[in-house]
Amino acid sequence: MSSSALIAVAAQLGGVALAPLLPGLVQTAKARLQGRRGPSPLQPYRTLRRLWSKSSVAPAGTGAVYRVAPPLIAACMLIALALVPIAGRGPDLGVGHDALVLVGMLALARFAAAAAAWDTGNGFALMGAARDAMIAVFGEALLVLALLVAALPARSTDLRSMAAAAAGGHVWGQAAHWCGAIAFLLVVLVETGRQPIDNPDTHLELTMIHEGPLLEYAGRDLAYLQWAAAARHWVMLVLGAQLFLPHPAGFAGALAALVVAGLAQCLGLAVIETAQAKMRVLRVPALLGLGCAVALAGVATAIAGLAA
Amino acid sequence: MTVLALVGAAVLAAGGLLPALGARWRAGLAVQAAGICMLGATGLAVLLGGRPIGAGFHSSIALGFGIDRLSGFFLALLAVTSVPTLVFARDYLTGVGSAGAARGLAALTGAFLLSLVGVLAARDVVGFLAFWELMTLIPAAAILLTGRDREVRGAVYAYLAITHLGGAGVWVALLTLAREGGIGHPAAMVAAGGGAQTAVAIAALVGFGTKAGLVPLHSWLPRAHPVAPAHLSALMSGLMIKIALYGLIRVELEWLGARPLWLGIALLALGLASALGGVLWALTQHELKRLLAYHSIENVGIIVLGLGASLLLARAGHGLWAQIAFAAALLHIANHAIFKALLFLGAGSFQRAVGRLELDHLGGLLRRMPWTGGAFLLGSMAIAGLPPLNGFASEWLTLQSLLHVSLFGPLGVALPGAVALAGLAATAALALLCFVKVVGLVLLGRPRRPECAMAVERPAGMRFAVVSLAGLCVALGVLPGLVVPTLAGLAPGVHGHPAGDASALAIPGTGGLRTVGLAVALIVLTALLTRARGHRRLAPAVAPTWACGQDVVPELEWTSSGFTKPLRLVLEGLLRPHRELEVVERGGMTQLIRYSSHTPSLVDRVLYEPAVRFGLRGAAFARRLQSGNVRTYAGYLLALMIVMIALAAAGALG
Repeated sequence: MSSSALIAVAAQLGGVALAPLLPGLVQTAKARLQGRRGPSPLQPYRTLRRLWSKSSVAPAGTGAVYRVAPPLIAACMLIALALVPIAGRGPDLGVGHDALVLVGMLALARFAAAAAAWDTGNGFALMGAARDAMIAVFGEALLVLALLVAALPARSTDLRSMAAAAAGGHVWGQAAHWCGAIAFLLVVLVETGRQPIDNPDTHLELTMIHEGPLLEYAGRDLAYLQWAAAARHWVMLVLGAQLFLPHPAGFAGALAALVVAGLAQCLGLAVIETAQAKMRVLRVPALLGLGCAVALAGVATAIAGLAA
Repeated sequence: MTVLALVGAAVLAAGGLLPALGARWRAGLAVQAAGICMLGATGLAVLLGGRPIGAGFHSSIALGFGIDRLSGFFLALLAVTSVPTLVFARDYLTGVGSAGAARGLAALTGAFLLSLVGVLAARDVVGFLAFWELMTLIPAAAILLTGRDREVRGAVYAYLAITHLGGAGVWVALLTLAREGGIGHPAAMVAAGGGAQTAVAIAALVGFGTKAGLVPLHSWLPRAHPVAPAHLSALMSGLMIKIALYGLIRVELEWLGARPLWLGIALLALGLASALGGVLWALTQHELKRLLAYHSIENVGIIVLGLGASLLLARAGHGLWAQIAFAAALLHIANHAIFKALLFLGAGSFQRAVGRLELDHLGGLLRRMPWTGGAFLLGSMAIAGLPPLNGFASEWLTLQSLLHVSLFGPLGVALPGAVALAGLAATAALALLCFVKVVGLVLLGRPRRPECAMAVERPAGMRFAVVSLAGLCVALGVLPGLVVPTLAGLAPGVHGHPAGDASALAIPGTGGLRTVGLAVALIVLTALLTRARGHRRLAPAVAPTWACGQDVVPELEWTSSGFTKPLRLVLEGLLRPHRELEVVERGGMTQLIRYSSHTPSLVDRVLYEPAVRFGLRGAAFARRLQSGNVRTYAGYLLALMIVMIALAAAGALG
């Protein structure tokens, strides 16, 4: 095994530990942009440590589905981390690197969260789950289209070859790449639950989307779910950096570009959150539908370009 | 092999005759299961061995029966699905009412299975059409045996009317094929020319599409399937509509002798309309079996998307991907037969346990009926297309096929492919939304009715049926690599063989679906994380559910329509729901608020209602001609004579 492959393994496993840093960075940057000092970027780690030492609570009448959901969701996100290569390299961890399998793992996590919400019977949890599932209808179509745009130059849905095909400067001369990048930005906002789609800082149950199904959990269960939310940031931002942001073809350069792109995307999310208020939930599908149209335009230009 | 098939058919027929002749119907069902096992074994042997048995396809009117690899696949699937269903029926039919009704249903079940086998084994037009019509009529008889109230009679009438009107397409397609000598001989259709090919393609699309439940010809399906007894619903949704797809594959993909572009695009469009339409209407249903019936439409749509992709890819010369798309369609046929049978049987079990199946009046059944409930949960996850179950494997393959339709271009094909791809992804997300709702309302939470709190697990036969089907969902989800290469080899007109690997679907141009790796990783990681949580050491404290400090009373429970409300609001323009709000005020105080909403089917309103109105108006007009007055009839005759003489004088009659 070459040294770059070893580094890739380390980075992939490191993602498990580094993921909570991303939402922490976004929160810090957002506070600074808003003129506050804000929490340290390490705050999510402190929260996780605090939660880990607390005891669990189960609402009356819940059963196995409620209990198994947090570990299952965390397991889905661990597999998602293994699916996404780092700097174009992906060690074989036994689950492959297919883009559409990633879609499936995200769906399984969503199902587990919504089923747990049904088990509690909590109206707020179900409200969040219903909205999440509704947005996912449009979000999943958009995600698949964005992945299609990225798969066009690679002729494959293997995330490693997709990352390799997006390397270098020539892709930026193609309209399809720009369309894909715009579509994927919306996917990132949906999947990470950031404004204007969802507000991760809300404490009002009626406005919660991703936070809603977490309401009843406490202790280590909640720690798993919060880590899973951070891992969603990791998966989406790492994918975005490798598929739609500039990076060189070599491993070392790509790794450096990945770090820069990760930080830049955190900053970008903070800027969007500062500039944008949360939009009405019923307006979100229109926005995502627009994203789908942009992605389809990207497919059209790419195919027309290939034919010409 | 031939002997085994003949003995199997004879045993199956005997199993159907036993209850009809007054013998014990439970024994009859067991004999039927034995017969269908033999037929399934024959089918499997032909599928794997590759040599067809019996007669080959021919265009003459001589009866002929035989089994080739495609028929073998469907026969094996028939056996795999119907054996648990028959075991289920042994316990289920005891509660069907009178002993006579149970006997009649057992006999009709045997006859129905025999007609399905007949369609699959027929090698000539006459046999095919005869068994095809029997397959349509027998369920109608069985439904009428169990209930004859107004709603049921209406459903049966709609079923027979629509499938027979649409089914005329099957007759037109097959008889045209036979006249050109094209049954089993695509070369003959090439000789017959483009006009005949187009006519056959359209007629078959209408005929088989009606029977398969493709939107907009689906209207009978959600009416007829829910009123049938559970085991027949399972056979109808799981198998009968698949036999229509068998016919569609034979005519459109095998015998047509051409792969017109419009047909591929039409298949994509019909598939997408069915997939999205089926799942959207399913979302607005309040009754479990009706909801499941709408999901059959969705899944037929997914299968037809795979078939359309296969046709387009074969047309563009991408043989390997044409095979993969075909395998995706066949795998989804098998998967849907298995999980839909499981879900209908589970619904039947719940119905026996708690009575009515209105979604808002169930709940908490996972705890009361752990075996049936657990199997139902797995089936729901499978139909929602979640890894590592079988629905994900076939949906992944279908998504990959559509993605590659888009990758290979040209633009006129790539864009429909991309739209279908996005539509299928949205369909999967909608199915997830729908089935998490079903799981939540039926299995989880608190019982919403006293009967649900008292429900007891069903007898061993009914348990065995659902659990074995759930086991198949897991097995096919973890090891699709065992069957996909064989299924890909069935793709008509394409040669070559994709590589096989039991533990994964390693397909070039994809990252591969490492099914075993994914399943093991999911189970091991979940187990490890559960251990790390220290579930036993720190037993969770029990607290009331959070409802802003007030007690959770039944009025606060979420309903089926509550969960889908955001989506219905977003798609209001498409679904057009009817809402009625009635406020009763007395003495300045609001006494009562009644709210009801239902979502009429758009297709019913746009297509069927005008058609029915037009038909009735035409009938009323025609009745006026029949005055009953003899002088009027004499006038008709006179007018006819004058017209004929005038035509003859003008030389128009030759």
